[in-house]
Amino acid sequence: MRRMMAVCNKELQAYFLSPTSYFAFAVYVLMTSLLFYSSFVYYQPSIVDYRLVLGDTLSMLLFVVPLLTMRLVAEEFRQGTDELLLTSPARVTEIIFGKYLASLAILVVLILCSLVYPFIMSFFGELDLTSVWLSALGLFFLGGSMMAIGLFASTLSQHQMVSAVAGFIILLVLWMLDSFAGNSGSALQQWLDPFALTNRFDSFTKGVLSGPDILYYVTLSGVFLLLSIQIVERKRWR
Amino acid sequence: MLEVKQVSKVFDGRRGVHQLDFTMERGEIVGFLGPNGAGKTTTMRMITGYLHPTAGSIAVDGISVHDQGRSVRSKIGYLPETPPLYPDMTVQSYLKFVANLRDVPTREVKLRISEMISRLGLQGREKQLVRGLSKGYKQRLGLAGAIIHKPDLLVLDEPTSGLDPNQIMEIRDLIRELGENHTVLLSTHILPEVSALCNRMLIINQGQLVLDGSPQHFGSAMGDQFKVSIEVKATEQQLHNVLTPWEKVQSEVIQAADGQTSNGSTGTVKMLLTGESPEDFREELFYLLSGAGLPILEMKKENLSLEQIFLKLTTTETESEVELATQETETDKVQLANHATDEEANLGTTSDLKQSTSSESASSDSHTGEGSK
Repeated sequence: MRRMMAVCNKELQAYFLSPTSYFAFAVYVLMTSLLFYSSFVYYQPSIVDYRLVLGDTLSMLLFVVPLLTMRLVAEEFRQGTDELLLTSPARVTEIIFGKYLASLAILVVLILCSLVYPFIMSFFGELDLTSVWLSALGLFFLGGSMMAIGLFASTLSQHQMVSAVAGFIILLVLWMLDSFAGNSGSALQQWLDPFALTNRFDSFTKGVLSGPDILYYVTLSGVFLLLSIQIVERKRWR
Repeated sequence: MLEVKQVSKVFDGRRGVHQLDFTMERGEIVGFLGPNGAGKTTTMRMITGYLHPTAGSIAVDGISVHDQGRSVRSKIGYLPETPPLYPDMTVQSYLKFVANLRDVPTREVKLRISEMISRLGLQGREKQLVRGLSKGYKQRLGLAGAIIHKPDLLVLDEPTSGLDPNQIMEIRDLIRELGENHTVLLSTHILPEVSALCNRMLIINQGQLVLDGSPQHFGSAMGDQFKVSIEVKATEQQLHNVLTPWEKVQSEVIQAADGQTSNGSTGTVKMLLTGESPEDFREELFYLLSGAGLPILEMKKENLSLEQIFLKLTTTETESEVELATQETETDKVQLANHATDEEANLGTTSDLKQSTSSESASSDSHTGEGSK
């Protein structure tokens, strides 16, 4: 636990110091603000609903998450610091979870940034607060599994850019899983639908907290964390 | 303390280390030598648990690295060839991170960090970013990280490479000091370092152990003939007259300054004498030359230097070639002298003095070698 927190603290420090994370945050805030402006201020919808702008926020995660996770493991390999981590008494599980925890902390900050929009909207009408809070929670689950996927991508290479691109591609595939099988309700589409990254998110925005949805995101994170652990552990067997 | 049994490592069909077999006792400082690509780093990585061996087993204090990796890893301090540092961290935060990672008791962390900082001379740099440290300080910080948890076994991969002469001396002093309380395995390609630091050396070549023993022991054991170099105040002719009838010794002139020198004295001749047998003939030689009225200005027993042993063991030669090489000492020497001067250039001038005192056996050859050039 202590070793995990040590890794987590180290990663948070690195996030705080690295220009990439500031860049990612800047891109996120800028793009979501622009999208917020166009869909809320410019079009002036007749109702005040957070969901109107939430979709835009989501798609930005697709770009920002790989930027935030690409460094996590790839940089250790490149700097040779994996030698320090892997020869320390820490388990690989502790190392990976430490890193994941740090990325979740960053995710929380990211979500807090996007809560600015419902706050602004609340001045113009009545917001469904349950929906807003559950959306934030949904964002946490969705973002959390995306971070796990990004972390996994980061273990694949020692080059940050390769990791970022790999992460982006995996996320994109999972994101668009349901649309691969064509748009109508074919059997394949029905089968793939529950696995698509964003479909599960919809129930959160409707104000429904459902067990299977949470389980989906937790399992997805778990699988990719497990894969990351295996990939790092495999380094010993080169 | 450390047992390496029949360890092999194969990388993608390429053999890294082949059936390596050695043990280390508590309190030893063992030098691990070999040309580049011999498998030093691979072996060290296997001992520290960074790599798993393809075959064989490694145990530290009787605990297998493979089965109980974590408890073994907590006993080992490892400094890889490039110190594993995070450029964006400060010296203090790095040490704190390593201390937490390596299970230093929470109460002791602060104390240990300040201890490490003063011990490795990092005072005043606690708040400095690692990125801005010089190579020598980075090495020290890496070493601090490797010993912060007071490991039983310290594994150092080329701890002095890329440092300036003063830093090399400092790191060596530190290693010597650490050797008093820890068991140390260090790899290096600087040969005098081994005789300066280690009480035992292992030479590996192409993944196989070729020699195991103390550096002093090798010096005498490897030379199968007794060799003496002398400087005599005489002319070449005079010396030949005395030495040619002496059958059991072969002589060869290294350098002769014949005739009258400016201050009126006769010149000096430097010679290398090789006995037919390993028997000591120095006393005989002394009386022989003093009887002939030729004063000996210098006489030195020539041990086969570490460089020679190293070359002999790590270059793949057939047996006859090896014999030839030992006979052709002259050409050998020129090569070695080059080798030695490189080494000395590497060490620079400031440490030269200390260097030669600390590694007499190694430097004796190279000096005469230089004379012959």
